[in-house]
Amino acid sequence: MLKILVCVKQIPDVDLVKMDPETGNLVRAGVPTLTNPLDLNALEAAVQVKERYGGEITLITMGPPMAESTLRECLAVGGDEAILITGRPFGGADTLSTSYTIVKAADMKGKFDLIFCGKETLDGATGQMASQLAERFDASQISFCYSIDDISDGKIRATRALETGKEIVEATLPCLLTVEKDNFYGRLPNLKAYLDSKTREITTYTENDIDGLDLNLIGVPGSGTIVPKIYPPELPEPGQIIHTGSPRSDAGRLIEILAEKGSI
Amino acid sequence: MQKSDYRNMWVYIEHDGKTAAPVALELCCELRRLCDTTGDRLYAVILGELPASETDRIRECGIDGIIQVRGTGYEYFNTDAYANAFTVLSRKYNPSAIFVGGSINGRDFAPRFAVQLNTGCTSDAMQLEYDPETGDIQFIEPAVGGKIMAVITVPELRPQVGTIRPGTFRYAPTGAKPEIELIEEEISFDPDAIRCRHIDFIPDEMDPEMDIANADCIVCVGNGLKDSEHLERYRKLAKLLGGKIGCTRPLFDRGILPYKLQIGQSGVMVKTKLYLSFGVSGAVNHTAGIDADLFIAVDKNPDAQIFNYCDYGIVGDMDEVCDEMIELLKAREAQRASI
Repeated sequence: MLKILVCVKQIPDVDLVKMDPETGNLVRAGVPTLTNPLDLNALEAAVQVKERYGGEITLITMGPPMAESTLRECLAVGGDEAILITGRPFGGADTLSTSYTIVKAADMKGKFDLIFCGKETLDGATGQMASQLAERFDASQISFCYSIDDISDGKIRATRALETGKEIVEATLPCLLTVEKDNFYGRLPNLKAYLDSKTREITTYTENDIDGLDLNLIGVPGSGTIVPKIYPPELPEPGQIIHTGSPRSDAGRLIEILAEKGSI
Repeated sequence: MQKSDYRNMWVYIEHDGKTAAPVALELCCELRRLCDTTGDRLYAVILGELPASETDRIRECGIDGIIQVRGTGYEYFNTDAYANAFTVLSRKYNPSAIFVGGSINGRDFAPRFAVQLNTGCTSDAMQLEYDPETGDIQFIEPAVGGKIMAVITVPELRPQVGTIRPGTFRYAPTGAKPEIELIEEEISFDPDAIRCRHIDFIPDEMDPEMDIANADCIVCVGNGLKDSEHLERYRKLAKLLGGKIGCTRPLFDRGILPYKLQIGQSGVMVKTKLYLSFGVSGAVNHTAGIDADLFIAVDKNPDAQIFNYCDYGIVGDMDEVCDEMIELLKAREAQRASI
């Protein structure tokens, strides 16, 4: 039976995050959260593999205690087990320390054959986590996977979506995959699974629960990058607004301008 | 670890055995500028064979040296051999920074060797600056959906690893230096040890509608679009203008248009004569991907950031303005035909 791990993240709705103009800090209080949409494609890929080849899906996330709701959402869609890594010392981690932490925590549940990740998150958007997890899991990696074509004899054959075409690859297990959504649109849970997910048990690990965790390698101390400064983008001077009184006359004026400029 | 022991900057030259990827040349040009500030030497790192005419193009970008790696394992891109090569080279030469074009494969292997080297990795910087006080590169990039710019640094570890999206920097070669160092390295990776191996490649069928990078006119539709049924009028408008349709990321996320039509830093970078945006808010990630001679924006929100990037804007209902434009353009065509 395949042991499958799916890495998910709860993110703030980036459309609603604002920057405090006085302090320059990001205001996240009261901003709704969601499960990173691309992680749901990864979960879908895992569920499809489980349906086709059998297996057991473990979900893992790192975040504040409320990230539990993301795990429950994913459990409802198709997880068998869920791990929440939470605690102050994990905060402020970049991908170097997050990948370390997740692999250490996942190791508590044994070795996984397949690991699925979204190809990036909408908030951090580095797209680095998957490759870094693969390295730390000592796994092969198939990034930007378009379709999973076969899994047998300890190998996985899959198709990657490159810039100008599709590449067919074959990798040994354990293998980490990031998926394109084309063939892995997320599904909705059925009502029973949804209701069940509310009471399912979730394994919670703090920094004290993970075997052999080096506290110097997690959170801020374990990070390779820092963000010393954020600032609003410098905007160019606004363009000329056409304001003639009605959409029709605005459109008319615009067509005139396009004609004057030789664009039409 | 002493940061000052790590010197010089490297660019990974992605290639297919015939030509170097444009992003590699763009990076060489931009890093020439940065190295002139930092005093570092700039090296192009080539894995496997590349024709001399192509290495000449790289020399023209003002590099100080080439690190040519030969050996087994580089015939096709694969994460294991490529990441290993950079780890081995970096441990030997201690570069201060390694830059990799943010293509699909570049983004696949760069973060992996960054972990092997236990160092910081950044992605998608749009601007590179040098802080002489700390000796760190400032990787400046849009964050939180493009609403803020973030300065990212690797304050303690080396090398500083960065992937940069194609089209971010200009290809503007400053000319070859009279003396260019050549370092030849033999790093063989056992082909049997490659865990994910190339089997085949099937090129995508060329669909001209999907090739928007250099279209003369682009009608870009943003998240203001109500649903896919409302898309037809924009196709009509694009057709009347002799242009092609494009979109912003949310429309791809919503499954309305394919990824190949997504314009911006994480999609296609476009160079066009006429750009018309409808219902686009104007996040930096999107506008960074547009190089237009004439930029028109239509959006109902008068405060939308897109109006800062346009030459002319209309505040109004996108569908209504589009419909009016179609009607007027049709009338114009009819008038012309009757003359």
